[in-house]
Amino acid sequence: MNTFAVNYGNLFSITIPETILEVVSLLVLVVDLGFLRKSTQPARMTAACVLGVIGSVLAGLWLLTHSGTASFAGDALVLNSLVAAAQIGILLLTALVLLLSFQAEFSRNPGEYVAIVLLATTGMMLVAAARDLLVIFVALELLSLSLYVLAAFAKSSALSSEAALKYYLFGGMSAALMLFGFSYLYGLTGTTNLNGIAVSLASQGLSPLVVVAMVLVAAGLGFKVAAVPFHLWAPDTYQGAPAPVAALIASGSKVASFAVLVAVTGSLIPAASASRGATWIVLLVWMAGASILLGNLAALAQTSVRRLLAYSAIAHAGYMLLGIAANTPQSGAAVFYYALTYALTTVGAFGVIAVVERNMGSDRFDAFAGLSRRNPLLAASMLIFLLSLAGIPPLVGFWAKFNLFAAVLRAPGVGAWGLGMVIFALAASAVSLYYYLQVLKRVYVVPAMTDEPMAVSALEQLVLLVIALLVALLGIFPSALSGWIPLG
Amino acid sequence: MTQHLHLWLIPILPFVGFLLNGMLGRRLPKAVVSTIALAFPLASFAVVARAALIFIQVKPQILPWLINYSDWINAGPLHIQFTLALDQLTILMLSIITGVGFLIHLYSVGYMGHEEGYWRYFSYLNLFLFFMTVLVLAGNFLLMFVGWEGVGLASYLLIGFYLDRDSAANAGKKAFVVNRIGDFGFLVGIFLVLANFHSLDFFAINNIIHSNSGISTATFTAIGLCLIVGACGKSAQIPLYVWLPDAMEGPTPVSALIHAATMVTAGVYMIARTHSIFDRAPIALATIAIIGAATAFFAATVGLVQTDIKRVLAYSTISQLGYMFLACGVMAYSAGVFHLMTHAFFKALLFLGAGSVIHGMSNEQDMRKMGGLRKCLPVTCWTMFAAVLAISGIPPFAGFFSKDAILAEAFQAGSLGKILYFVGLATAGLTSFYMFRLWYLTFLGESRSEDHDHHPHESPWSMLLPLVILAILSVCGGWIGYGRFSHLLSPVIGSDIVSPTEASSGSLELILSIVAVAVAALGWFVAHLLYFKPNDRAQKLATSARGIYSLLLHKYWIDELYHAIFVAPLKFISQYILGWIGEGVLIRGSAWVLAGIASLTGELLRRWQSGNLRSYSGWLVAGAAALLLFAAIYANHLGIWIHFDPSKVLPISINPNAAGH
Repeated sequence: MNTFAVNYGNLFSITIPETILEVVSLLVLVVDLGFLRKSTQPARMTAACVLGVIGSVLAGLWLLTHSGTASFAGDALVLNSLVAAAQIGILLLTALVLLLSFQAEFSRNPGEYVAIVLLATTGMMLVAAARDLLVIFVALELLSLSLYVLAAFAKSSALSSEAALKYYLFGGMSAALMLFGFSYLYGLTGTTNLNGIAVSLASQGLSPLVVVAMVLVAAGLGFKVAAVPFHLWAPDTYQGAPAPVAALIASGSKVASFAVLVAVTGSLIPAASASRGATWIVLLVWMAGASILLGNLAALAQTSVRRLLAYSAIAHAGYMLLGIAANTPQSGAAVFYYALTYALTTVGAFGVIAVVERNMGSDRFDAFAGLSRRNPLLAASMLIFLLSLAGIPPLVGFWAKFNLFAAVLRAPGVGAWGLGMVIFALAASAVSLYYYLQVLKRVYVVPAMTDEPMAVSALEQLVLLVIALLVALLGIFPSALSGWIPLG
Repeated sequence: MTQHLHLWLIPILPFVGFLLNGMLGRRLPKAVVSTIALAFPLASFAVVARAALIFIQVKPQILPWLINYSDWINAGPLHIQFTLALDQLTILMLSIITGVGFLIHLYSVGYMGHEEGYWRYFSYLNLFLFFMTVLVLAGNFLLMFVGWEGVGLASYLLIGFYLDRDSAANAGKKAFVVNRIGDFGFLVGIFLVLANFHSLDFFAINNIIHSNSGISTATFTAIGLCLIVGACGKSAQIPLYVWLPDAMEGPTPVSALIHAATMVTAGVYMIARTHSIFDRAPIALATIAIIGAATAFFAATVGLVQTDIKRVLAYSTISQLGYMFLACGVMAYSAGVFHLMTHAFFKALLFLGAGSVIHGMSNEQDMRKMGGLRKCLPVTCWTMFAAVLAISGIPPFAGFFSKDAILAEAFQAGSLGKILYFVGLATAGLTSFYMFRLWYLTFLGESRSEDHDHHPHESPWSMLLPLVILAILSVCGGWIGYGRFSHLLSPVIGSDIVSPTEASSGSLELILSIVAVAVAALGWFVAHLLYFKPNDRAQKLATSARGIYSLLLHKYWIDELYHAIFVAPLKFISQYILGWIGEGVLIRGSAWVLAGIASLTGELLRRWQSGNLRSYSGWLVAGAAALLLFAAIYANHLGIWIHFDPSKVLPISINPNAAGH
């Protein structure tokens, strides 16, 4: 309906990384189903994962070597340094998740598993780059549908099916609400392009329809980032989904969703209209406050580490929503930094959980007892991940929180309310230390039921150590990423 | 040539050694652990030596050589870069640290050969070298602080190396806590620097100072005094010296490396590095000079009567560090650093010699039970003799030149300097006395050991080689540096302010030297009278001045005094007041509240998070409705409905041309 001369050459050049992923995902299917059908299960899994990792790395290398800005079809898809940083981050997270999937035994169809992971990654990358309501919706659906399938991948596990079904039905409802909101926005402005929407909205006053549209969009995106009150799927899904899938939902999907939330916020809050901006900001701030409060309090009551991480993810989403509400370039960059480093840390934490589950058959606190004696390196990695999530210096989680809250406080027009929210968030993150330490107490203090070492493959051990090292080093050298994410 | 100079290798190499031995050492054979532990410091020393050759001989004019590796911390107005800096002072310090450090590593192979936790010892020792080189190479205060804290950590770990001894654990804790006090001062000083100069980079700060920034003397004094607190903690000066004697609980090579040659001189290095601040703060300078002279004299008096061979050396170290402070206090920084270097040679030698004696005597440290070791430990005996001559200031040994330079500079630094000169001179006599006392008691006379079956044995070559090399340096180190030293360092610590030095003349310096040597000879003579041959003169002297003897033997009761003034009240407060309020009310209370919240939310969640899909979708809609209601009320509150103009809302059937582009 828009009268653009669509330049397919341009489209192709922007989406080469996504294309690489698509091709590799097909290749994985062909190799797995065509050549390796007679091979053993571990061999098939290894081959598929190796191919997937190679695909992610290739796509990431292309992005690294082709910097610059580009856009397609009047900014329906854009590529700039921040988008590239988000996409590289997503690819890195996918590669790590695949590396941690080598030992996974939940699936009898490794080729399909890896292919769908790569499709989900394509969705995430498109979400991060999309600047048009339709493209955003299509990309989000590609991402969501892939994740629904992945969540159900452990077909023999009732928990997995339940998780997937809840995720799917809840996601479907949210998508409906969001699409409804998008249609209102289109009706109000006559365009689906975020820039166009910003321009058009700036010329009209705040209408009841705009408020309705905002609330509906907030519901849809709130579901993706698991913000209260659209969070109910998260604990069940985090608990039921296979560990690598839960890691993917908690990491790459979060990064992409926050990227699109930043973009949508930029279009809904043009500088000209303070009152409408204020309404959207207030929506975000309320969702943030509720997420921080409920996420942290509910996490206190958990005895399953996965559910604990789910509620803590809700709290972290709350912190990031505060940063989005501040709506300055600095706070946007700080949210990016937070989302990427949080996702990295969470992948690591889920990696440890996967190992413990495989050995102990449970992710409850008891299963972690005496981990420090049974596998010191694993325990040390978990220590680094959880302390980073709690925001203890010198780990990267501290700098993520520091940059985020500093950017919020430095945003223009942040008054006593902003300061109050930041103080509230800080107090809540002090509470969060309590439940992270509950896990670490099991890891380091509570004696093990058995002294036999925790079996872990060399690859997993290595990947987890590398992630832990990254978390520590990025904290010791906080400006290491400043070339990509200008926090200044 | 310089672009191939990889400064980062200097700290990283020992760090790799630390990682290898720390992670794998438990499973490796001893020979491999030793190889790793020796190879990396040696490689680091090679890099330093290469840098020294390039810069000292080829292009001294391009120093200081700064390398910014990256932005380190960018937070608002705070921009700190990861900078390593190389200048003449750094090269000198690095040569001492890696050179003497390597010798002591080599020595440790023999000394620690039978100890459990051999790999742990070497990984800590390499870790220490890493942090110490970071401290010295740092181009700004923050990176220096990283090294500063890191060497404190390594020191703590090594003092408490013998895990099964309570005394070692306590000594480690004491060193750590006392150093925290100093670090607090240092940190406040860094904050003051940041607040006034808006930079932590040493060279940027120097530029600001030299461009007459209008910063007041009071500011300089405040910064200087805070930095002095830090230096006093690390360099064991009054009133924060108490940790160093206890630190002798660590293995003897550790005492030699960390608590004599390198780490404890970090305070002196820091003052020299930041001298342009001190140059403009006369009160701070006077404070350093007085603290230095007082510490030198005080520690020397305690050293007179101690009977534990390592304790004598510990107090001697404190005393010699006092000399270096005195030098800094009279703006004779190059003399201070000169003494730092010669002291590193002869004090490391003394400690290693003492270690060799202890090793040979099967862990006996009491000098009253030694004696006559000259025959059994000839190499140890004569290398230590060289060190004793050096520390006593007998020409032409190393200590003579550096100590003489300090005393001469002090004498020419105004009336305060003259008073402190005499304190320093008296200390020189005391030093000479207690060092010869130590040597006579240990090596001459007949054996006083109660264990007659045990025959002391000379140490293996890996321990003797470092002794010999250090002995050569103790003999030659002085006159090699004499005269050239201040010239070498002048680009770094040549003061840009004309110090109130009286015109020095050759004859005055000659007279001062002769006086100093005479005093040292007097100390030697007294020691000779009392201890050369077995007699009861020392005993008689002690009984006739029982009060003073007891005062000195108990180190002026300072430990007990600190315990009564600081430790006991703190314990009382923490046990009864903070313990009651803090633990009883705050911690238990908040734990109780958190537990209560946890169970309450758990109960609520059980109802909310029912797992029932229909109720979930109900909650979703309810949530969206609540948000809508809230947004509507808020928008109404803003009064914007009034401005709502329905005609501006576009009809749903849209003209394609109305689209944005």
